[in-house]
Amino acid sequence: MPTIPFMLLCGTLLGLSAGFIMHRADFCLAGMFRDLFLFRALFKLRILLLLIVISMFLFESARLAGIIHLYPFPSFGSPSLAAPFGGMIFGIGMVMAGGCVVGSLYKTGSGSVPSLIAVIGLIAGSALFAEFFPWWSKITANATFLKGKITLAQALGLSPTLLAATVAAIALPWIFTIYRNGGWIRPIYTDGSLQPWIAALLLSLIGFISVIAIGMPLGITTTYAKAAAMTESALCPTHYAGLKFFQRTSLQYTQPLTGELLRGGPGKDLDAIALIQFPLVFGIVAGGALSTLLLGEFKIRWKLPFRQYLSVAIGGVLMGLASRMAAGCNVWHLLGGLPIMALQSMLFLVGLFPGAWLGSRLLSRYVIR
Amino acid sequence: MESTQTIEFDITGQICPSTMLIALREINRHIVSLNSGELKLVFRTDNRDCTNTIPEAAGNMGFKADVQKSDSVYSIVISKE
Repeated sequence: MPTIPFMLLCGTLLGLSAGFIMHRADFCLAGMFRDLFLFRALFKLRILLLLIVISMFLFESARLAGIIHLYPFPSFGSPSLAAPFGGMIFGIGMVMAGGCVVGSLYKTGSGSVPSLIAVIGLIAGSALFAEFFPWWSKITANATFLKGKITLAQALGLSPTLLAATVAAIALPWIFTIYRNGGWIRPIYTDGSLQPWIAALLLSLIGFISVIAIGMPLGITTTYAKAAAMTESALCPTHYAGLKFFQRTSLQYTQPLTGELLRGGPGKDLDAIALIQFPLVFGIVAGGALSTLLLGEFKIRWKLPFRQYLSVAIGGVLMGLASRMAAGCNVWHLLGGLPIMALQSMLFLVGLFPGAWLGSRLLSRYVIR
Repeated sequence: MESTQTIEFDITGQICPSTMLIALREINRHIVSLNSGELKLVFRTDNRDCTNTIPEAAGNMGFKADVQKSDSVYSIVISKE
């Protein structure tokens, strides 16, 4: 099958499934971190950990079986202290926006106007990043350490299998203990709900298929930069032409199944990034919409206090900025990078916790009254 | 016999986690009347997630929570067990 239709079909189906599953299981990654700080609730974070552990097992098994052609995955770089900083800004943003970069998409699909505002904020944040990209890229480069090392295994000079086996040795008794205490199940009151642990299992399979078929885990945030590029190039082409960020080629890789060399970047062109991410974004929105429509719960929801609109807009801008500052969003780092123990992703997580804490404080103090 | 009073809050459409925060605030504000059985609180929401989080929090505080769906909106009824 030629590359373009294959990638379009694959991305749409993966996005559609992810959006549908996330909506049915209320799989909100922002909520997982926020509820830890607001309500001392650990259940959802436990589900995220399960998803990361299953993904680690799947990715490592596939690597050993020789069916992962690009390892570490494309676009992961050496660790930089810019990553925890970006993670922190991202954490504040996702809590204020009431959903992360993916959460905002499936919630938009389910009829939430504030989530659409967060998406527009994400585009604006990406445009803002383009303005100070040269400065930030210098800081990132200066703060980079362990040059040439991408994963923890590479940094330690150990086999990834050994590290994954160590994690498995710790995780298996933990999973079993939680299972014995009934900690994987939650009561269900809504129609058509999916137990979050099933969602975690299915989402790790979706990530796995993405790695095998597309060559990398799920990532969508460069789409927001592309949307910013398309808007800016149409509205102020001279200014757009002077922005270095949009001239970059940030991705160059060989499609693992078709063997075609693909290139792309955050600029306005319909390149490899568009081919990989646009179908995913469309699919996630459509998946959220489909799930809601099938339940008879679709309704355009827009009535909410002005403070909340302001919060989602600011949250969206912060996430847009941060996902470029940290070279990826929470889905990219947590669901794609952590399972291969990418150092950049581990640092992103280090920043995400204090960010989500700060976001929760801002939300409960100034936004929700 | 004294009848039970009901206060209804329409919090449809709001961003997460305002539904939960508002519910917690109102449960705490009316805790005496809820405990005496004089009052029931009803939260109308379209946020599917909080149909789990609110009953769980109410249960931890010793209250009963019923969830009903009508016209694409869920009503969470909090009362004394």
